Amino acid sequence: MSERPRRLLAVLVLASLTLLALDSREPRPSDPLRTAVDAVLGPVDAAVGGTVGGTVASWSGLADRGEVRRLRQENDRLREELARARGDARRAAGLDALLAAVPAEAVLARVTGAGSGLGARTLEVDAGTRDGVEEGLPVVAAGGLVGRTVRSGPVTSTVLLLDDPSSGVGARLTSTGALGLLRGDGAGRLTWVQVDPGPVEVGDELVTSGSGTYPPDLALGRVVETGTGSGGLTTTAVVEPAVAPVRLELVAVLLPGERGPRATAGPS
Amino acid sequence: MRRAAVLVLLVLAAVVLQAAVVARLPLPGAAPDLVLAVVVAVGLVAGSRTSVATGFAAGLLVDLSADAALGRTALALLLAGYLAGLLEDDAGGVVVPAVTGAVAAAGALLVQAVTGVLVDDPRASGTALLTALASTVPYCAALTPVVVPPVAALLRRADRRP
Repeated sequence: MSERPRRLLAVLVLASLTLLALDSREPRPSDPLRTAVDAVLGPVDAAVGGTVGGTVASWSGLADRGEVRRLRQENDRLREELARARGDARRAAGLDALLAAVPAEAVLARVTGAGSGLGARTLEVDAGTRDGVEEGLPVVAAGGLVGRTVRSGPVTSTVLLLDDPSSGVGARLTSTGALGLLRGDGAGRLTWVQVDPGPVEVGDELVTSGSGTYPPDLALGRVVETGTGSGGLTTTAVVEPAVAPVRLELVAVLLPGERGPRATAGPS
Repeated sequence: MRRAAVLVLLVLAAVVLQAAVVARLPLPGAAPDLVLAVVVAVGLVAGSRTSVATGFAAGLLVDLSADAALGRTALALLLAGYLAGLLEDDAGGVVVPAVTGAVAAAGALLVQAVTGVLVDDPRASGTALLTALASTVPYCAALTPVVVPPVAALLRRADRRP
């Protein structure tokens, strides 16, 4: 009996390492499989994430009998209704704030899940190619930039968060206008590397510079700690992101399109 | 075969609940790992042959639904399952599941960190590993003793009526 688990262990360890070697190049051979898994599990995640709260609340009243039980159930029902109404009001307020923050045409999506552990820092959202969402689009919330889409299935998409170490975004310090790059540290914070010389103070705000994927002037975060980069040549700082991704309910995926009217100047 | 079907459902439920609920709990540090706790529980209840296979399958599913290279979580979870399976007969009480959950979580994180360096993952940073170790390990120590009894009950029911 003790021989067989050891052989199985060896076989599966070799299988894992082989898959790892095969799957660590870009584009990944497993990408179609990932899209398929997302298409199946995405809607399940959404249903589970949405119903767990209410189910737990209604189960807790089933233990008693008779009148007490009836009253408790009614009480629970009313409380649940109140919680739902409060949730609706909160969502409506969140939606208003989100709509105010959206600078262009966008698809609204609900957050249905999140990545965890040492893997990529991601969120799952319930909008996909069917809604016009594709890879590489900016995702914003009421507070500011959340990240960008990295994979889209028919009804769900994966959003790579700003604090993932493979996320980099061109940014500008609002106090001095200095340009630089903001990178994730994989643990909920961002690192600011300033290209232009100049001072950085705790409390300074950062916005997107408008280069690359992201439109300009989306809020990114606030400096919480300053420092000097290797060799003292660059200014660096630790930045707290403007949006805490774990508590997000609603986000907007900005669709590609015109970037708004451009101001022109010249003799008339 | 009923046992295999129960294990498949158990793994699917753990992966879905992890993404939709557990990873989104507003807890300090990294999230608890329900999938790891379930694999460790299967090892403690049913032995390493079952838990190695369960860990491998669950890990592949996590790798596919998260954005990880295929095989990375699979390797970590199958080793965690093997470790838990070695303690199959001492699964009673709270202490053994808690300690096994903590050790398996630490081992799984270290394996993922090493494979992260091997495949040149930009996420393989010391900060991320330390945050994960400091939070996921105690979370798994607390979670595993809670997961063991229902997993044991499910597998017992699956075996009773063949």
